[in-house]
Amino acid sequence: MEEIITIYEPDNSLKKGYLAIFREIFIELKQNRWLTYQLFKRDFLSAYKQSFIGILWAMVLPLVSIGIFIVLNRSGVLNIGDIGAPYSIYALLGIAFWQFFSNGLVACSNSLVNAGPMILKINFSKKSLVIAAAAKAIVPFIIQIIIVSVLFVGYGMTPSIAGLLIPVFMIPLILFTIGLGFFASLVNGVIRDFGNIISILLTFMMFFTPVLYGKPRIGILATLTKYNPLYYLVSVPRNLVLKGVILEWEGFLIVCLISVILFLGCLYAFHLTEARVAERI
Amino acid sequence: MHSILLKQELLSESEMDKETVINVEHVSKKYCKSLKRSMLYGGIDISRNMLKFSSRSDRLRKDEFWALNDISFEVKKGEALGIIGPNGSGKTTLLKLLNGIFWPDKGKITIKGKVGALIELGAGFHPLLTGRENIYINAAILGMKKREIYKEFDSIVEFAGIGDFIDSPIKNYSSGMYVRLGFSIAIHSSPDILLVDEALSVGDAQFVQKCLWKFQQFQEKGGTIVFVSHNMDSIKKNCQETILLDQGEIIDRGKPKEVTDVYNALIFEKIASEMKKEQSPTGKELASRRVGKKNQRYGSFQAEIVDVTILNGEGKPRKTVNTNEATEIKIKALFYEELRDILVGFTIRNRIGVDVYMTNTGWKGVDIPRVSKNNNLEVSFAQKMCLVPGEYTITAAVSQITPNGIRRLDWVSDCLVFEVLASEKMSGICNLDSAVSVKQGKSEVDIDR
Repeated sequence: MEEIITIYEPDNSLKKGYLAIFREIFIELKQNRWLTYQLFKRDFLSAYKQSFIGILWAMVLPLVSIGIFIVLNRSGVLNIGDIGAPYSIYALLGIAFWQFFSNGLVACSNSLVNAGPMILKINFSKKSLVIAAAAKAIVPFIIQIIIVSVLFVGYGMTPSIAGLLIPVFMIPLILFTIGLGFFASLVNGVIRDFGNIISILLTFMMFFTPVLYGKPRIGILATLTKYNPLYYLVSVPRNLVLKGVILEWEGFLIVCLISVILFLGCLYAFHLTEARVAERI
Repeated sequence: MHSILLKQELLSESEMDKETVINVEHVSKKYCKSLKRSMLYGGIDISRNMLKFSSRSDRLRKDEFWALNDISFEVKKGEALGIIGPNGSGKTTLLKLLNGIFWPDKGKITIKGKVGALIELGAGFHPLLTGRENIYINAAILGMKKREIYKEFDSIVEFAGIGDFIDSPIKNYSSGMYVRLGFSIAIHSSPDILLVDEALSVGDAQFVQKCLWKFQQFQEKGGTIVFVSHNMDSIKKNCQETILLDQGEIIDRGKPKEVTDVYNALIFEKIASEMKKEQSPTGKELASRRVGKKNQRYGSFQAEIVDVTILNGEGKPRKTVNTNEATEIKIKALFYEELRDILVGFTIRNRIGVDVYMTNTGWKGVDIPRVSKNNNLEVSFAQKMCLVPGEYTITAAVSQITPNGIRRLDWVSDCLVFEVLASEKMSGICNLDSAVSVKQGKSEVDIDR
């Protein structure tokens, strides 16, 4: 029989190389897939249990915000620019991708804090907790995609076939979200202010990112957009659905690279410090 | 197979008969008193770790203190170790270190095998989810694999005895059902080492018996248990070795019976010093008092117990008495100064150290208002020894009632050993001396119909 030998020591990981640590991390992630799924199921099942309309709540917020923007658009208050598609589809798709990021990040940043009592009583993989929290963002995303499909039918339009590649083109967005999520959960675990900061930042960022409006051509906003990784993460998959093309390959590839580095870096940092966080929660 | 042989060759002979599964070497753990500073330190430690710098955890910063200090012990396979100590002595922290929830700040912990923790039963249950849903989730959190959970599911439900409630939300469960389910999942997660923290203090008697029986089974199969408890009887019953913690340090270790006596003395001294607002002897001093003396003894020693005897029905001192025999226990004490309001009492304990009977002059309504200096006080307790056959000890004590509480003058643990004999067989604790009658008659119900 195979014996598992565990050693707990301060600065355990300092003695190991990067490769050994990453190997450890991926073995842990692989072993805990079932746990991650169970944690996701727990959040998912419990979130809508004591409620009449249940999961439909996930539709309310996007519909309301699109409604507001349509009203603003029709009254000419908001200059959306050339988007080449019905505004409601454009906006809802944008919101779907954006909220995948923002819901995911908020859920991740609270994941360790919310599970605090459990973390202090059972030793289990905290990475699963963060990943399961990020996975919660998939549910509203799928609902929004369903609404978009209904809108396509309503407008008598067909989305591009390339839109089927969405899952592939969302990988950078997923890595970006979970990567930041790992970092946010750590910091929020120790310093609760961070959770509030994230919520506020996300609200601001949404207005500075062309989610509900077209890409700005002039001014500070145009410069900001150029260097905003979230712009590429949202607009590339969106254009893929609407037009079937990828317009900004160069920017997107750079952002892909950033996402991968961010994900690996944060995962690594999380692995080195997860037990240190447990004692501060 | 080949590698196993090699491994065995490498082990020395003494290690071969019993393998060490938990090895704790000079482990320390610090905490921070101030929450804000704790946040700051946490931030610093995490940043240092992220950048692959050492967190230099072996030094104390402002407001930090050692919650555990230089703890070393080992536990062999199949043993049960008890950890006792007053509140805040670091027992739970130690358990959390063994479980890997916290990392030590100094030292090293080596653990062989899978660890299961009963630190809080049902931790991680979600109140809105059903028992069934919670079993899957909790089992996964406790490290069970999908295949194992499916295999053990029925057994988990059966042991928990929750029946039809399996499909209703956990929030409708009684607290008993809640802990039973929690325990059942934990015990089915097939650990090699079980960490138990006061987990059993919540269930009813039947459940506790069931758990103890499970622990026994677990140990017989080679499982190792680390027990934290305030219940000295369960420590004495279940553990082969015991560690006494006080203020983060191990102050005594050894046979449960002896260590629990030191614990009792420690608690007594703490209460006494609170009453007197004086410095009490530290746990270490108490433990050292035990060394060299056969019995644990403590008190202010203004009076001293000089003799304890047990007399049989004929009034002769004896080491063996028959069950249900009329006996007399005589406690003689010498007073070094004049003292008022004296209490004299004794406790009979059985072989595993469980208190079987305890009484004193106060409870019996006998007042001893005053004893003069240099006087001998002799108190006799007459009783029938309604005990099952076996070996027993007597612990005698002389105390004084003060407005602030009971002040121990002299307490001698297990100062006298005696044996109870019986001509018939019986088991348990006390001899109720049952009379048996048998009756037979024709049944009113016709069975053949």
